[in-house]
Parts: sequence; structure tokens; C-alpha cells
Amino acid sequence: MPVLRAATLPRRLLLSPSWIVRLNAPGRYALALAVVMASWSAAQILSQLTSSNRISGVLLAGVLVTSYLVGSGPGYAAAIVSFLIYNFYLGASIVGVAAYRAEDILLLVTFPVVAFLMGNLTGRLRDETKRTDIRQRMTAVLFEGTREFSACDDAAFIRVRLADYLAAAAQGQAFVLEDEVLCTGGGAELTPMVMSAAQALAQEASGEARSIEAAGWRVRRLSGAGVAGWRADPAPGPQEEDLLQILADAGAAAMTRAQMAAGKAGAEARARTEDLRNSLLSSISHDLRTPLAAVLASATSLQQFGDKFDAKTRQDLIATIQEEAERLNAFVTNLLHMTRLESGALDAHSAAFDLAEVIDRTRRRFERLRAHWKISFAPGEGAGLAVGDPVLFQVALANVLENAIRYSPPQSNISLSSALEEGAVVVRVADEGPGVEASELPRLFEKFYRGASAKRTPGTGLGLSIVRGVMHGMGGQAEAALRTDAKSGLVLSLTLPAAERHEEAV
Amino acid sequence: MSEDLGRLLIVDDESQIVRALTPALTAAGFKVASAAKGETALAMLANDPSDVVILDLGLPDMDGKDVIQRIREWSDCPIIVLSARDLEIEKIRALDLGADDFVNKPVGVGELLARIRAVVRGRERRFSAQPQFQFGDLEINFPARRVLVKGEEVRLTPREYQLLRILAGHAGQVVTHKQIIIAVWGSETNADAQFVRVLMAQLRQKLEAEPSSPNLLMTEPGIGYRLSCED
Repeated sequence: MPVLRAATLPRRLLLSPSWIVRLNAPGRYALALAVVMASWSAAQILSQLTSSNRISGVLLAGVLVTSYLVGSGPGYAAAIVSFLIYNFYLGASIVGVAAYRAEDILLLVTFPVVAFLMGNLTGRLRDETKRTDIRQRMTAVLFEGTREFSACDDAAFIRVRLADYLAAAAQGQAFVLEDEVLCTGGGAELTPMVMSAAQALAQEASGEARSIEAAGWRVRRLSGAGVAGWRADPAPGPQEEDLLQILADAGAAAMTRAQMAAGKAGAEARARTEDLRNSLLSSISHDLRTPLAAVLASATSLQQFGDKFDAKTRQDLIATIQEEAERLNAFVTNLLHMTRLESGALDAHSAAFDLAEVIDRTRRRFERLRAHWKISFAPGEGAGLAVGDPVLFQVALANVLENAIRYSPPQSNISLSSALEEGAVVVRVADEGPGVEASELPRLFEKFYRGASAKRTPGTGLGLSIVRGVMHGMGGQAEAALRTDAKSGLVLSLTLPAAERHEEAV
Repeated sequence: MSEDLGRLLIVDDESQIVRALTPALTAAGFKVASAAKGETALAMLANDPSDVVILDLGLPDMDGKDVIQRIREWSDCPIIVLSARDLEIEKIRALDLGADDFVNKPVGVGELLARIRAVVRGRERRFSAQPQFQFGDLEINFPARRVLVKGEEVRLTPREYQLLRILAGHAGQVVTHKQIIIAVWGSETNADAQFVRVLMAQLRQKLEAEPSSPNLLMTEPGIGYRLSCED
């Protein structure tokens, strides 16, 4: 948090030294007396040296200096004292008041007039300088404040800082009240009366910026919501008041902006969730309806035109019904697995099992259902037995194959292989699809995540998350990598612990 | 059923749908071709125009709605959307872009064939440029602006007549609320679907034997209306 700086601009008017300006009233009078005494002493020395008693000029200079330094009040005092001293001096040298000369009468008038004129002029200059100083300080605070506000997106923080800045600008106390949250600056303590006035102003229906006075406080209704109040010492002039209002309004504008930005971010997040839900729903409806459409079309075709079809067409339609029903079942099973994974109810029965057999069974089922893709399997040396749940492993493998088929062109190869690596069995599935960006690899197993290039392909983004879920559920791993050979495509690997040789396969 | 109904193109990337539909459509009298991608379909149509296109909206290379738009740039062939997307906004957009009808998956071949027949017949009627429209008890004489039900003249307000005319002009086809509003109230209007509903209720009172269960002026819920020309 930056420290609030006081204005340190060069003084335009070189007036009294600052220690004199800061003097209190008795101090000023004491100073006046001291100056008079000094001028009197100087006059004495002068009259001794020049053997002249024309010392009125020196005393007059003392009055002048006093008025200049400390204002008209002490100036009058200096005038009176100087006049008395002069009288005393005259009385001491020339006997009798009657001995006054016209010159002395003139001095009697001159001393206070000079003191008045000089003091008045000085006082005005001093006041002006003081105002300029205050204004400079306020401008600096205003500048500092608006800069900080504009760099901040947190409405609550801006509220706290606005109270601080207002207090610094007013050189007094300040508060900001918004949504029942009160922030104070400069150690402000609000009396119940000020508080209730502020609340009443905050609850005013019209959002117009306006100010009221309450028990020495200036309370301003802010343009957005809430109010700001300040108490300056000494009471600020109209121009200073304007600057304070500008500061309060700048803070209010910053708070409104921050709140709108926050609201926008929230709305965007909601829109993203909504988008995700819509696309998930439409994917699920697509995945359920496509097989259903094939089943219904085939069944109604057989019903309506059955006797017109040749045996091969009939057989083909019946096969479509069977395959699509199986696909539907697989999809429903997957949804079920997802639900079980979500609820933590996945029940893995791990044991040593014959990996090659499960892989081959899955491969053959896919070959039958998806005749357009060539699925090959190369079993690795020593990778025959793995520890895991064969049913769940088949679910994982089927999802990986489904994923490979979904994203690779018909007639392309999908290569399955297994290998024994560091006490674990790794099953790899390599496709010839477009692959994904390397940066997307870690996210592929996230639920609902779909690669940037997958937007056109229908899918729920559930398959691979189920793969990872069931593999973890039985102590295995699922990883994705890009092909390292010349072809494009993705390699998904499923890892399970290898079974000890003496263990019996199930 | 062995009559030659012309060529039919199925555009769908799901091979099982093509496999399931082809035999029945062939048996019904169509020469069936298929395309799995939008670009393939457009190329096929350019070389060898089809008499009917059955189009899926979710294609791997482009959105089916863009396919409709591209086809409509040069061809007026009937397009029936067959899609698993059941969002009304999708249907309305597809129809506004010039699709003739929208059928949800899954659908039986009986219904699909009926929709195809309705669309084809509606087109024939429309493009024969006859001054008369006649279906069932309804008869419209366009030059005289006369509407007859069972031979008796029915008096329609200008708006009711406009509504009937646009539906008759697209007989068998769904006409969206938006299309109706533009035809009846013009494009510079704040009329909404509610206006259409009210006007339709008035028209049904005058034309339908039983306005509460219409068999001429059919509602497509949330989308628009259709003048039935199915027997």
C-alpha cells in the first residue's frame, strides 16, 4: 500500500518561515514583543552612535516587520507598545507631554495604520498560501487515489482505500458506507446521528450524487450505491470541497466498475457452465438417439417392406438392430459406470487375469460392430498376466477403442500392443486420427473435456474420464501420448501391475 | 410402390442410419445415394441433382444448416432435416434457411416416407403455378382472392387471407412463425408468435369443420404451422 504523500511543491509565495506560521496566538504576541524590543534596542544603539533622538523610523520598521511576520493583530500590539516606548523615550528626554511635536502626533496615527495595512496584506497572503498548500495536497491525494482505484478490480478494497484517501485529503476523518459495510479512515468514529443520516442518504431512491451536512460531517451520496462522508479540519473552502467530492466520486465510479467487472465474470462463468450442460445433454441425446434411430428405422422397414426385401437385406437390417441395441447398452453401461465412479461405489475385484484373452475378446467384438476399422493386436513377451478386475479392464479398453474409432478415419489401423515394463503390464492403443495438441494431453482424461479438434465429432467427453476412473479404481494407470512414429495419432496406454508367475490366472 | 420416385440423397455421418434407411427408401421407389460429409453431399448434388435430400445437422466437416444454405444458393430441391437435435431453435433456423421439413430421430420409415411424400407433393402443387389450390373441402382461387369450403364462399379478412396464402404456397411444408409474420405483417413489425396464434384461431374458425381439432391447418408446436395436404 503506497504511503500517502503530502504535497511538496515549491512555494509560490515566499512568506514567513514555517515555524512562525505554526506559532499559536500567545507565541505570535511574544514574537511581536520581541521584535519591538529588538527595534527599540537597535534605535537606542543608533541614537547613541549618531547622537540623534530621531528614532521613530526604527520603531516604525519594527512594527512593519512584526505585521509582516505575524499578522495584523500582533502588529497592532507592536504599534501600541512602540508608541508607548516612544512616548517613554520622549518623556525621558524632553519633559512634559506638551512638548509633543506635530511629528509625534503623526507617528501616533502612522504606527497603527501601518500595522493594519501590513498585517492585513500579510494575513491575506498567508491564508492564500495555506489554501494553495491544502489544494496541492488534495490534488496529490486525488491523483494517487484515482491511480490506485483504476488499477484495482476489487470493490471492497477500493472502498477501504477510498476512506483512507478521503481522510488524507481532508486531513481529518472519513468513512464510506455501502451495503451496510462501514469503512473508516483517519480514525473516524461516527455518532449515531451521523450514522443514521448517512444510512438515510444511502437508502434514497434516486441514485443522484448529492451532499448533505450532518454534525460537522459532509456526507455525499455516491453514484453507484452507498455514501461517503468526511470531516475536514479546518473546514475546507468551496474549492477544497469540490476536490473532496471529485475524489469521492472517482472512488464510487471505480467501485461500480469493479462490481460490474465481477458481475460480468460471474455471468461468464454461469454461461460456461450452461454451455457445458447443454452440450453434454445434446451429446447424450445424440448418443442415445442415433442407435435408437437405426433400430427404429430397421424395425419399421422390416415391418412395412419385409416381404419385398431379399434375404440379405433382411439379415442386414436384423444385424443393424442387434448391433445398435448392443451399442445402446454399452452407452447406458458407461453412464452407469460414470455414476458409480462419481458416487465412489465402484467395486473392483482385483485378481490375476489373462490379459491377452480380454484384449482379444474386446477386439473381436469391435471388429464385428465396427467393420470399417482394422484392429490389430501384438501381444508382448511376458505380458500375459496382469492384476486387476477383468470386467473393469474391458470397460476401460472398450472406451479407449471407442475413442480411437471415433476420431480416426474409416479403413485406418488401430494397433493394440502389450508389453511388460518394470513389473507392470502396459497395453497401448495407437490410432491414426489427427491426435491432439501436446498441451491438451494432460486434460484428455478430465471429465467432459473434449479436444479442440473434437468439436465437430459428437461425444460427451465421458469415455476417457471413465477409463481413468476405473484404471485408478483397480490400482492401474491411464496415460495419453502422441505417436512417435511418422504417423499422426494418439497413443493411449493402460497400465496394470503384472501378476507373479506362480499366481493362477482366472 | 415400385414406381420411380427419383433420386434421394441421405447426408449422415452415422453409417448405421444410412444402412437402416436405404432398403425401405429403395423399396418405396427412390434411387438412394449417401454422403457422410457436407462437402461430399454438395459435390454430389452439383454433379447429379437429387429429387429429395435427407440431411443430418451434425456433420463432421460442417454444420448441416450451412449445407442447407449452400444448397439453397442454387437449388430448390426438397430438403428434409433428420436430426437428433431436438432444440426448437435449431429446427426454426433450419426451416428459416429453407429446409422443407424437420423430422426428429428416431423415426419410423412409415412416417419418414409420409413426410417425404407430403413435401414432394406440396412442391409439385406450388411449382405448377396454378391459379387454384384444392385440397379436400378447401378451394382457393388466387386471382379472385376467393376461398371456398365445401363449395361455399368464406369471407376472410386481408390478414387471414395472407396467412392462408403463405400456408397454401408451402402446402405440406412447415412455415415458421417468423416467415408468417413477415408475410402477413411485413418485416417492420413488432408482431410476435402470439399475433400469429390469434390469427390462426380466427382462420380455423372459418375453415375447419372442427376448429379445436384441426385437420387442415396443423400446428407445429413452438415452430409454426403447416397446411396439410396428406390424404
